[in-house]
Amino acid sequence: MGSALYTIRGLEHVYRDKPILRIDRLEIPSGSIVGVIGPNGSGKSTFLKLAGFVEKPTAGEIIYGGKPAVPFASEVRHKVSLMPQEPFLMKRTVLNNVAYGLKIRRDLSRLEQRVHIALDWVGLDAGEFSKRPSYALSGGEAQRVALAARLILKPEVLLLDEPTASIDALSAQLIKDAALKARSEWGTTLIIASHDWQWLYGVCDRVVHLVRGRLMGSGRENIIFGPWQPGENGLWEKVLSDGQRVVVQKPPEAISAAVIDHAAIVPADRLLPSGENQVRLSGLITRLALEKASGDIVGSVLVANIPFTTTLTEKEVVESGLYPGRRVHLLYDVRNVRWF
Amino acid sequence: MDFLIQGFLKAIELLFAGDAETFSAVSATLVVSAYSLLATLAIGLPLGFCLGYFDFRFKKQVRVVVDTLLSLPTVFIGLVVYAFFTNRGPLGEWGLLFTLPGIAVGLTILALPIVIALSATAVESMDRQLRVMLISLGANRRQLFLSTLWEARLPILAAALTAFGRVMTEVGIAMMVGGNIKWQTRTITTAIALETNKGEFAMGIALGLVLLLIAFGVNVSVSSLRKRY
Repeated sequence: MGSALYTIRGLEHVYRDKPILRIDRLEIPSGSIVGVIGPNGSGKSTFLKLAGFVEKPTAGEIIYGGKPAVPFASEVRHKVSLMPQEPFLMKRTVLNNVAYGLKIRRDLSRLEQRVHIALDWVGLDAGEFSKRPSYALSGGEAQRVALAARLILKPEVLLLDEPTASIDALSAQLIKDAALKARSEWGTTLIIASHDWQWLYGVCDRVVHLVRGRLMGSGRENIIFGPWQPGENGLWEKVLSDGQRVVVQKPPEAISAAVIDHAAIVPADRLLPSGENQVRLSGLITRLALEKASGDIVGSVLVANIPFTTTLTEKEVVESGLYPGRRVHLLYDVRNVRWF
Repeated sequence: MDFLIQGFLKAIELLFAGDAETFSAVSATLVVSAYSLLATLAIGLPLGFCLGYFDFRFKKQVRVVVDTLLSLPTVFIGLVVYAFFTNRGPLGEWGLLFTLPGIAVGLTILALPIVIALSATAVESMDRQLRVMLISLGANRRQLFLSTLWEARLPILAAALTAFGRVMTEVGIAMMVGGNIKWQTRTITTAIALETNKGEFAMGIALGLVLLLIAFGVNVSVSSLRKRY
């Protein structure tokens, strides 16, 4: 990884008088893979549009390669490319869609051959697809054509917004492979927003967590949204759909979001450590994934309908016999709950 | 009914016999239609694009004004253009009264709201993702404009055809601003009006059929272009 390609400072974006994104500071090194996770409506797509220089932020600046940059600026126009969640293809053939970026750059040498290579990268047979009109493609094929249209430009930065959402498994895998190949072959910086955090933790150098338009950290935080109601012993609580209670200390506001940084996982049949500040929730392990950057194992436990995330060591996983589908207890200390 | 049949036969005779007066009117009609259509598209498409593409203050009010101008009476346009181009008018020294370019100016005013309103609707109905895609692939502002228009080419073509049909069949402006001068500013529609006043229904119908044939030819050409692109 190189020096900071992006330096984002005091970034704010407002839509119809409603603030939807605020990032005080963020640096993204050149050649890195950065994952962006967060719930729906958390500002992921807005962040990608701003970082992709498709939209201008309401306030703040995005410094790219050491210089402040805005949409249409020559420093970024031919270097940064965003693939939105619902890729749009023009009413043209696949060949003309993929070649569009090169044509507007007047870069016409070996055009057809380069289109064929780009299609090959995303697993589409050029002979079969290049003359096909865009309306005759399936969702997964259209997504792959959209990616090919960006890969042919060999971008310095490729921003992918939910690239594998609502497409078939084969297309999703081909898209993942092609994006990673771009990084390994040309050093393309990848910024990926996805709900597939298992994949993100597996490939990303860094994962950032966006919640309500704010950066939260690494994505391992558990965020429980209010409303909270007064419970026993001066504590407050949120009753989950299965009757379990998430207990916290008095929140700043009844609708505040609680952040539980760390929760321990203990198999349900083990004796639990006791403590007056300890809260116990019962759930099922749904996923265990290896985090590439740290070597930790990230586990997801579904409590009622809320997924909790926690970090485990290999030893903990082996010794406690943790695996997806196992019923476990989730333990946290009410004093360690932060407010957001 | 006889005059209808006679009119049809006369139309064929006029076209195939190469009647000079008829061809002068056809030529005048095509010239003013072409001039006004070119001017209308050059002015109307960028304005329609801006109206459909950008969000700005008073956009709805501008849209209402443009939509209202769609029903601008042609005689009123003729009157205003006449008033501007007459010797005593502010643009009298341009010498455009009773000329084909003068008629084209009036027809441009007539067709402009059509092209602006329909192209704005065409651009508005484009998927918002098109803009994201074009910028993401490196388009500059000019390429963004041209590519968006190209993607909206079918409804824009329909707008151009509608405008063409309107200017080619217009009579009030052509009569008032052009003066219906034989061999010079007489268009097919003003010639029809004159022949009808003279009681020459067959000649009027013949000229009307010629107008229809031209419209048919233009539509067939555009239709084949549409299939091709």
